[in-house]
Parts: sequence; structure tokens; C-alpha cells
Amino acid sequence: MSRLLDVRDLVIEFDTRHGRKRVVDGVSFHLERGEVLGILGESGSGKTMSTLAVLGLVGGRPGVVQGQVLFDEGAGPQDLLADLGRVVKPRGDRLVKNDRRWQRLVHRTMRPLWGRAMTAVFQNPRHSLDPLMTIGAQVEESVRLAQPELDRAGRAGRAVEWLARVQMNDPKRVHSSYAHELSGGMCQRAMIAVALARAPMLLIADEPTTGLDTTVRAEIVALFRELLADRRRSMLYISHDIREVLFLADRIIVMRHGKVVETVAVADLKAGVGERHPYTASLLAAADLAFEAAA
Amino acid sequence: MSRALRLLLAAAGRTGGALVLLMGASFVIYITIRSAPGDAIDAISPMGTPPQVKARLLAEFGLDRDPLTGYFAWLFRSARGDFGDSLVVAAGESVMAVAWPAFKITLILSGLTLLASLALALLGALVLGRPAGRQQLLTGPLYVITSAPSFVQAVLLAQGLNWTIHRYWEQLNYETPPWYPIPIYTDSLMPYVFAGLALLLGDGLFMDFFNAIRAELEGLRDAQFIAAVKAKGARTWGHIARNMLVPLVSGYAARLPIVLGGVVIVEYIFTLEGAGYLLLEASRERDFPVVVGISVLFTATVIGSTLIADVLRTLVDPREVARGG
Amino acid sequence: MGGRAERIAFWGSGAIVALVIAIGLVSPLIGYDPAAAVDYEQKLLGPGAGHWLGTDAQGRDVAMRLMKGTEAFFLPGLMAAGIATMAGALLGAIAGYAEGWGRTLVVGFLQLVDTLPRLIFIILVCTILNPSITLIAGVAGVLFIPSIATVIRRKVEALGSEDYILAHVAHGFSTTRILLYHILWLQARPLLIRQATYVFGYVLFVETALSYLGDYGVQEPTPSWGNMVAQTRELGGASAWPWVFPAVAIAVTIAAFLAFGNLLARRDEEAIR
Repeated sequence: MSRLLDVRDLVIEFDTRHGRKRVVDGVSFHLERGEVLGILGESGSGKTMSTLAVLGLVGGRPGVVQGQVLFDEGAGPQDLLADLGRVVKPRGDRLVKNDRRWQRLVHRTMRPLWGRAMTAVFQNPRHSLDPLMTIGAQVEESVRLAQPELDRAGRAGRAVEWLARVQMNDPKRVHSSYAHELSGGMCQRAMIAVALARAPMLLIADEPTTGLDTTVRAEIVALFRELLADRRRSMLYISHDIREVLFLADRIIVMRHGKVVETVAVADLKAGVGERHPYTASLLAAADLAFEAAA
Repeated sequence: MSRALRLLLAAAGRTGGALVLLMGASFVIYITIRSAPGDAIDAISPMGTPPQVKARLLAEFGLDRDPLTGYFAWLFRSARGDFGDSLVVAAGESVMAVAWPAFKITLILSGLTLLASLALALLGALVLGRPAGRQQLLTGPLYVITSAPSFVQAVLLAQGLNWTIHRYWEQLNYETPPWYPIPIYTDSLMPYVFAGLALLLGDGLFMDFFNAIRAELEGLRDAQFIAAVKAKGARTWGHIARNMLVPLVSGYAARLPIVLGGVVIVEYIFTLEGAGYLLLEASRERDFPVVVGISVLFTATVIGSTLIADVLRTLVDPREVARGG
Repeated sequence: MGGRAERIAFWGSGAIVALVIAIGLVSPLIGYDPAAAVDYEQKLLGPGAGHWLGTDAQGRDVAMRLMKGTEAFFLPGLMAAGIATMAGALLGAIAGYAEGWGRTLVVGFLQLVDTLPRLIFIILVCTILNPSITLIAGVAGVLFIPSIATVIRRKVEALGSEDYILAHVAHGFSTTRILLYHILWLQARPLLIRQATYVFGYVLFVETALSYLGDYGVQEPTPSWGNMVAQTRELGGASAWPWVFPAVAIAVTIAAFLAFGNLLARRDEEAIR
């Protein structure tokens, strides 16, 4: 079987008041089955936009998306962006994201994939949950899509199980709580439960620890590691924190100014094999400093 | 405390607040009456009112007492629905017997018009989506047309219809159609439809509603939790509908006063026997009990619709109860 | 945002607003005697060289009356906009900033005034007092205080927790200076522009509406756009010239003021950002 995900020469541009701005500039990376790939970069490096393009959630702002996103569920690679060429009006040799038509198109390609094949956990966990629905109802929505055969009580039971698996202290109480009643860390756990209840092949975690307290961050990262220990699913883990990425990932790509500056296996990085790109080296040095200070 | 009990308490609190507001607003209305220059009783009674009627008015409005006790006496009577008797427009009849049937017409007319406005605005927002350059060819002129006052729309509509009928029907010796707008035929629905159309097209109501709904809808579509719902493979429309409910109902309640302002003059132009028409007639004839009764009805409607929106928000949005509303 | 269409709308509405303001300023300088203008030989003429916009049933020049009609709403409108924005901004700032009974009092007052249906309350006031347009505009201005105060209050509350406002506080700037300059002038200016033009438009609406109804407002023979439109009642379709221009003038002026206020505010917002 081929790779689960293969992104080739991805370009994303947005039209702003000051002209067209390129946020992702020819990015290529791939992901094997069962692998955890860390994407490392500071804010504005294009790491979030690259992964949102994989998810088909770049949004309706006018601009351009170009390149290939090959995804293989098992029946051979499918280019998630291929369809765009047919319907979206080409301007020059590029695809113009034209708002509603773009969205409709992306939805047609992505709807069968979302949740089952790939799903995501975002930053700002509080804003990732519907404020008017209980946490339980939102997990159950996932459970119903994954296991349509379950009845109401069965779904509720599964939802509580999932909430327990993401290490909620009182899963029953959380089940009937609303997002505004929970802490940020608990919201993120709930989001992870919502995502994993769909049993996806690929989980995309987009800076899931941003905005959380340091201790809570460590707990969330440990939770990811535990949930992925069986290697049944793959993950794209996006972060600006090299320590989180080193802890979770098998391989790392480092992004800066919309470009991939380095791709490296974590084992090599830890062992100090090979030459490092200066930017990666500086990130490592900064992390070492932090480690030393903590030690 | 259970959630149901907290909801009930919050709803009761809101209702109490609304009652206090209604009392306050009625106090403002009462003080306005008392502020009439010279002898208040002369200011609020029609020319040539017989002394015994004047004495009755004096007692009804508590003008013979100090403002505060007078107010409470008046409030107590009004709270029981007793606004006194009409002096001129329906001499001798009780105000509520005259005003209430007329008010029902006004309420249905403005309520349905606003509902139509909401439906059209929602439809427009769903179809057009995000504001884009080319749409302004449509929304720009629509903005100019719909910001005209509803009474100007009504005049233009009525005159346009009259002209058309005069030109095409009468010259061809057709019978006057039943929807001939002026003079009206009370058994026909058509004048009401035209009045509704004038209200719908006027007072900047529609574009304001449309822009508000569109902004709400687009904000929701861009919301992160909608992206999360998509990412887990669920349908978004249920989440969007649920989250749109409160803004729609609040938007409806917030705009009801605009329509209730416009309907007064539009009713007058199409001579529909609603509360607005009655209010202007009573005002012209200085039939004071009727003017006050209708003013209180309008005010109560505004407060009531806001209350309904508030209670609904408490029911739908769990954050409201947490805020201690 | 918007681009060309918005620029056209901005300058187009701006030109109409400028024209109305210019006419409103110049008109009082020009003498006009409605009685002397009557000329039955020239009644109900269409637009032409002598009378640009035609004449009404009494042979009076429509263009002249249209110009003099601005006097009915121009100064009252400015006054109401002034009352509403100034009092609204002040009370809104108090409601957003103050604590304790002062705040409760202001918030209560604002809520109370906000529940009164505007036009109905104005008609009630007219029934009791039979007032002038100036007084009606004053009442309208007061009735608009809450809607302005509410937006200002929200702005003040939102900004009160902003870091840079806290920094100003920490720097020891006086509360009055922060409220009046940093919040009201620098941040809430677009809101005030938008609301002021809205109130002006509302006074134009109330004046023309009451003058149209005829019992209150501007009485014949003094011209008002409203009582010019009311000529439909006497004319009964005989001629459209006397009323169609004022009707269009009302619609276009209100639209222009609202649009210009909105677009000017938006430009200002973008400049602030």
C-alpha cells in the first residue's frame, strides 16, 4: 500500500488589501500509515494553513490554492484537490478559491472523508465546541456516525466511555455539561473524545495545547501519546513547541516563511546524526536551554 | 439547584423586570400627561367638553391628586384593563372595547410583515452568502429604495396603483377591481397586502435585517466549532440553525418598534381601521383616553416581545443562566 | 473591502449630503413669501425652463418650495443629532465605567426611554402639547439617547479590559481623559458618526411624516417636503409633479445620510485599525 498522505508542491495565497500574500510556498511532505508526523514552526510559518488545506477547511477568503494532496484510504491515492481543476475557474494555470463555489466543491470531495478518514482537533478548545449543546450530545453525534447501529442508551454509554478514556475525572457529569462550564483543558479532552469517537485513520492536531496552562499541556500531550500507542492511526501534530513534537512524533518537518526547511527523523535528531539546518539548530538550542534551566 | 428550576427562576426574573419596565414606561406616559401646560384637564379634553365629563376625566387620570398617588390610582385602573371611556371617536364606549380589535389588526399586520421581512432577509443571506463586489449591484439600489420611510413607500404605491388603474382599467371600461386601493373596501385583503408591502419596503428595515442576519450567519460559518463539526463528518445545518435561533428572535423583537412606528401612518394612508389609524383619529379629535390606551398597548407590545426573546434566549442558551440573567 | 462600488457609493452619497447641507445653510438667506408665490395662471405646470421642477396646484414653484422645505428639518435634525450623540455618549460612558447607584440610575433611565415606541410617544406628546418641530426634534433626540448610549457602553466595557487602556490607567492618565479622548474620541468616533446621521435621518422622517399627516408638523402655506407630498390628497391624480419630487427627495436624502454615515464610519474604522 502507498503512503497515507502525500502533499506535493502545495501553494496557498490570500488576497489582502495589500495585494496577494503567499502563506504556503511549495510545501511537500508525506505521512506513512501509523506514523506521527510533527510539523514545527513559529506562528505565520504556514503550518496551520498547510494542514487546513489537507482537511479542506482553508475557508472562503479569496485567494489561490494549488498543488496535490494525495490521500489513500486503501483503494489507491486520491488527489483531494484534483476536483477543483474541473469546476473552479482557472486563472492562468492556478485555481482561484472563489468563495461559495470553492466551499461547495471542497465539501463534495471531503464529506465522505471527514471524520471517518481524517478529523481534527484545533487550538482554542473552548471555541471548538458548540456552545448550545452538551458535551455528551456532541460526543454522541460522533458515536452515531461511527456506529449507526447503536440505540440511544448505547450511544450515551459509548460517549461516557470515551469521556473516561480521555481521562475526565467525572465523565457522567461532563456528559451533561456545556463547554462554558469546563476548563480549557477539559474542553480539549472533550474535543479529543469527539474526534476519536469517529475512529479516524488520520488525526490532525493543530496546536492543541496553545492557550493551556503548562501542567495541562503536559497532560494533553501525554494523553495523545497514550491514545496513539497502539499505532492504529496516524497523526499530524502541529506545534511551535519543539519539546512536544520531540515527545510525540516519529518524524519532524520544520517550516518557516511558508516553506519546509528541514525534514528529519526524531531518532536522528535525538542522536545528533547529520547536519542540522541553522533554524532547526536554533530551535533545538532554545529547547536545550529550557531543559537546562528546568534541570 | 436543578437546571429546570434555574431556568424557571431566570424566566420569572425576566418577567418581573419586564413588568417593572412597563410600570416605568407607563409612569413616563403619565408624567407626560401631567406636564401639559396650564390646566391639564383643558389640554387633554376636546373642545366643548361638558363639565361633568371633565370631572370624570379628572378623576380617571388622578389629576386632582398629587402626581404619585394620581399615578398609582391610574395605574391600578389601567392594570385591570380599564382605560376609561372614549370621548369622541367612539363616544361612550370603553377604550379597550374600541382599541383592542383595532390593535389586533395592527399587531397581525406588523407581525406578519416583520416575519416576511425576516424570511426574505434569511433567504437572501443564505443565497448570497458573503458580501462580494458584484452583489452590490443588487444590494446597493435595494439599500437606497428600502431606506425611504414607509409612508413615502405607501404614497408612491397608492398613487402608482391609482394611476395604473385609472389608465388601464377605467379607460377600458372594466369594473373597478376589488383591490382598488383608494378608497378601500374593508372586506378585501388587498389593502392590507399593500400596507404590508409598504412597511416591508420602508424605514430601512429590510436591509438592516438582512445585513444583521448575514453577518450573524457568516460569523457562524467561520466559527471554529462549525469547522470542528465538519471535521468530524457531521452535518452543520443543525448546529447553525440552533445557533441562529436566538439572533433571529432577538432581531425580530428589536425591530418590532420600527414596524409599529411605520404602521401608524401606513394604516392612515390606506385607511385601514387599525390601532395606528385610531390613534391618529383620536389624537386629532383630542380623544385622550383612547390616545393613552393605545400608547400603553404599543408600549406593552414592545416590552412583551423583548421579554419573549429574552426568555427564549434563557431557554436555548445555557450561558445565559450561568450569567445569572 | 468593497472596492470601487463602495467608493462610488461613498462619494455619491457624500455629494447628496453636501448638497442638502449647502441648501440647508443657504436657504434661510433667501426670502420667500408663500402668499406672493401663488399664481393660478401658472398652476400644475410640468418641469420646464421657467419652473425647473414644475408648479403645484396654486402655481407655486416646486423647486423653490423644495429648497425652502429643508428649513423644516435641517436645524432641528442637527439639534436632535447633537442632543442624542452628546447625551448618549456621556451616559453610555457613565453606564460603562461607573459603578454603584450612579450606574444603576443611568442604566434604568436608558432602559426606560428605550421601551417607549418612538413615533407613538411623539404623537402622544403632540396631542398634549401641540408643539413645534424644534420641540419634536428635541423629544426625538432624547428618545435616541439609549440606542447610542448602549453602543458606547459596550465599547467602553470592551475597551475597559483592553491592555492598552489598562496601560493608560497605569501611566496615571486621568479617567476623564481616558474616557473622553482615548475611548470616546479615538475609538467610538465611527459609532457616533453612524448614529448621528441616523438620528438626523429619523428627524427628517418624523418631520415629513407629521407634516404629511397635517395635524402637527409644518402647516401650509409654509413648505415642508411632508406637506408637499400630502398634496396627493387634493390633486387626486391630476398631476404628479407637485408631490413626486419631494417624495423622491425624502427617500434619497434619508438613504444618502444613512449610507454616508455608514461608509464614513467604516472608513474611519479602517483608519483606526
